[in-house]
Amino acid sequence: MNKFKKINIFALGWNGLFIIVPLVLMTILSFSTTRGFSLQEIEFSLSNFSKLTESFYFIAFKNSLKYSFITTFICLLIGYPTAFILSKSPIKNKNLLLILIILPSVSNLLLRVLAWEKSFAANSILNYLGISLNLLGTDLAIIIGMVSIYLPFMILPIYSSLEKVENSVLDAAKDLGATKLFTFKKVILPLTVPGIISGIVLTLLPSATTFVIPLRLGNGKVLLIGNIIEQSFKKTFNFNMGSLISLILMILILSFMVLIFKYDREGETL
Amino acid sequence: MSKKRYRLVSPLILTVTFSLLYFPLLIIAALSVNSSKLDYKFTGLSWKWYKEIFTHNGLLEVIKTTWIIAILATILSTIIGTLFALGINSLRAKKRKRLLMLNVVPLINADIVTAVSLSVIFSFLGITFGYPTLLLAHVFFCIPFVVISVLPKLSEIDEDIYFAARDLGMSKFEAIIKVVIPHIKTGIITGALMAFTMSIDDFVISYFVQGNGVNNFSIWLYSAMGRKSFTPAAYAYNTLVTILIFAIIIFISSKNNIKRRGR
Repeated sequence: MNKFKKINIFALGWNGLFIIVPLVLMTILSFSTTRGFSLQEIEFSLSNFSKLTESFYFIAFKNSLKYSFITTFICLLIGYPTAFILSKSPIKNKNLLLILIILPSVSNLLLRVLAWEKSFAANSILNYLGISLNLLGTDLAIIIGMVSIYLPFMILPIYSSLEKVENSVLDAAKDLGATKLFTFKKVILPLTVPGIISGIVLTLLPSATTFVIPLRLGNGKVLLIGNIIEQSFKKTFNFNMGSLISLILMILILSFMVLIFKYDREGETL
Repeated sequence: MSKKRYRLVSPLILTVTFSLLYFPLLIIAALSVNSSKLDYKFTGLSWKWYKEIFTHNGLLEVIKTTWIIAILATILSTIIGTLFALGINSLRAKKRKRLLMLNVVPLINADIVTAVSLSVIFSFLGITFGYPTLLLAHVFFCIPFVVISVLPKLSEIDEDIYFAARDLGMSKFEAIIKVVIPHIKTGIITGALMAFTMSIDDFVISYFVQGNGVNNFSIWLYSAMGRKSFTPAAYAYNTLVTILIFAIIIFISSKNNIKRRGR
């Protein structure tokens, strides 16, 4: 349908304006110390980059890595078996199973975090069940919150890649005498690598950059990259530092994306 | 793994998964019918928070904004996203992959980075912060959801049906509306539903492009959390929206299912 090629000019313009131009602007802001967005009286300097070595930023990067890696690992540990069990389930209407996984994400994210916060408090309605979790401010609270919120992003891509494994392939493995475990290791697992990679990226990124979860469940004591960006744009109005950190994140994310697209064919990402 | 062990372990894993996913929803539902405003005291069942949604100062206002933005953003992003998908579908190999990648950047990008990018470009262009920036931002991050739902349906259909329609005397516009759209309808509906769900719950991006006192539900909630201005009516509202969207999803999926069986 060559007639539609003209639309691509508009698509390029739209994405250029909202993706590429901001990237350029953020790069300029990162190299300057001039407050605000005026580009006329801009002064270039590298002082933002030297600030990056301050322990404040270092701790935030370290925390982001720590929490997001633990969260992603646990999500994979729970998510892969869950996707596997669901894909093997004898229920005819498999869409219903998927809906059950997606449904919690329909509920407002902030309220779900708030619900965890209320439950983790020493005094909560769980007291009526004889439970007092008293976990607020601990690593465990943050991790449970993150896993609960990002788990669907791990399950869905793995499930869809499991669904694509043809039964004939499994039958062939069985006919050739492979045990179930061997079939899983040598046939199913390699075929679902694209789903695993998509799942890892889709869990890792949001958990590394969230600022609501550490703020609420960490009692405000734990700082992640997201918290620093939020503070620089919303509290200290240091757009330069905020832009620099966002830019670094963006570069990391774009390299991730290239990785996904290398492994992933069209539309498999979600 | 032996069959016996699989049967033992799988319910355990499903229990862990579903408790992690559904625990917060249960708490929200419980607090929405709790007659006490104190979230650690359960003093009895009451519908008063459901009534307060409509009487609370401020809450109704932000709910209205949230819905106006979500409905407009869904309509606009569905139209633009479908057009983008048609465009991408007309390309082959490398060009197609590249443009698709550019189109799905907001989908994979961290919310906070998209939020920063948009707030920088909006400030730079001098767009008034408030309704215009919120709507533009929501349309921007909703489009990729429509593109990725429509594109697979487009690649399924035979290109010739469009040309056949043109040969038979339909105008370009007619051929799209009467021939192409019906074939990709399910993709468009899925995309629109995803866009709506994303828009109605968005916090991070809205928070960065908000201004002039125009807030959506999430932004209001963020500033009210842990403060006196918070009302359990928020739990009630959220429970209603969750049930509503759940009902829509079930309705659409059951309709699709019946169709598939009928074929």
